[in-house]
Amino acid sequence: MTQCPECDAAVENPTMIPGEVFPCPDCGTELEVTGKNPFTVELAPQEAEDWGE
Amino acid sequence: MSDGFRLGVFYTIIRPEEKWILAAAEARGLTVERLSDADSTFGLDPPADRPSVVLNRSVSHTRAVYAAWCYDHYGIPTVNAAAVVELAGDKVRTSLRLAERGVPTPRTVVALSEEAALKAIEEIGYPAVLKPSVGSWGRLLAKVDNAEQAVQILEHKSALGSPVHSVFYVQEFVPKPGRDLRALVVGDEVIGAMYRSSTEWRTNAARGGTVESAPVTESLRDLAMRAADAVGGGVLAVDLMESPRGLLVHEVNPTPEFKALTSATGVDVAAKIVDYAVTVGRR
Repeated sequence: MTQCPECDAAVENPTMIPGEVFPCPDCGTELEVTGKNPFTVELAPQEAEDWGE
Repeated sequence: MSDGFRLGVFYTIIRPEEKWILAAAEARGLTVERLSDADSTFGLDPPADRPSVVLNRSVSHTRAVYAAWCYDHYGIPTVNAAAVVELAGDKVRTSLRLAERGVPTPRTVVALSEEAALKAIEEIGYPAVLKPSVGSWGRLLAKVDNAEQAVQILEHKSALGSPVHSVFYVQEFVPKPGRDLRALVVGDEVIGAMYRSSTEWRTNAARGGTVESAPVTESLRDLAMRAADAVGGGVLAVDLMESPRGLLVHEVNPTPEFKALTSATGVDVAAKIVDYAVTVGRR
């Protein structure tokens, strides 16, 4: 269990792996999983101009 | 696999596509090295401990290109090859190459200043489509219906300031039947195709268009393979439009997303890509 860096809500998702991005269930901010044991998150990288396929 | 073969997966974020790639690699007993594009560093000498092949899944065109050239420098094969990522990630260079190879593509005019862009739009005729030369997901595309709009859109593009937006890629607006086509090429095979439909003129799945499986006809296969070969081949999503003058290739994407194609066709795209990367790594 960890906190959303934006709104401090408790977040945990044991099925996710580092690098995955998900919205905070409380504030909707995109978070990136940075660790699994313990579960840690950071703000997800912002979409940049050169992102695409 | 215990012969020391290692699959590197170079990524920005882990999307369903990357999860499926990791799962497919695991199912094949492959040793996988996850390489975050934000954390990686590249010296001039080859690293002592290096993957056998790197699957380039970075969503950043800039990072994907520089990393691919570094891996190329180290003698580590990548999927796709650096030259392919560089070329296909740039719409201007892709259009030039498609034209060189006789692959049918929409009429296109490139301009390098706001003033010349207006001339380019007039040359194409209304409606015209303005696209950034780099980037995708249908971002910052504009359909220009008349001269007044052209002036305003060009002014907005110039205000964005980035050098990328001072390259004006102008294309004819192709009256397509509310949908376009995507064919996914892996090596020498078209592994599946889908229609992408939308009520708006941009049909990108990333913009919420709907998708359904499309038959891989002889002509679609032929054109998709010619387009893929034109940019150097590998794992490539070829986007086509059904125009009054036949199929036209309008994009060749070097780091394709395939969630929509997987669900539309049922093809295990991730497995095909991993198998192809292994083949490239063992050459």
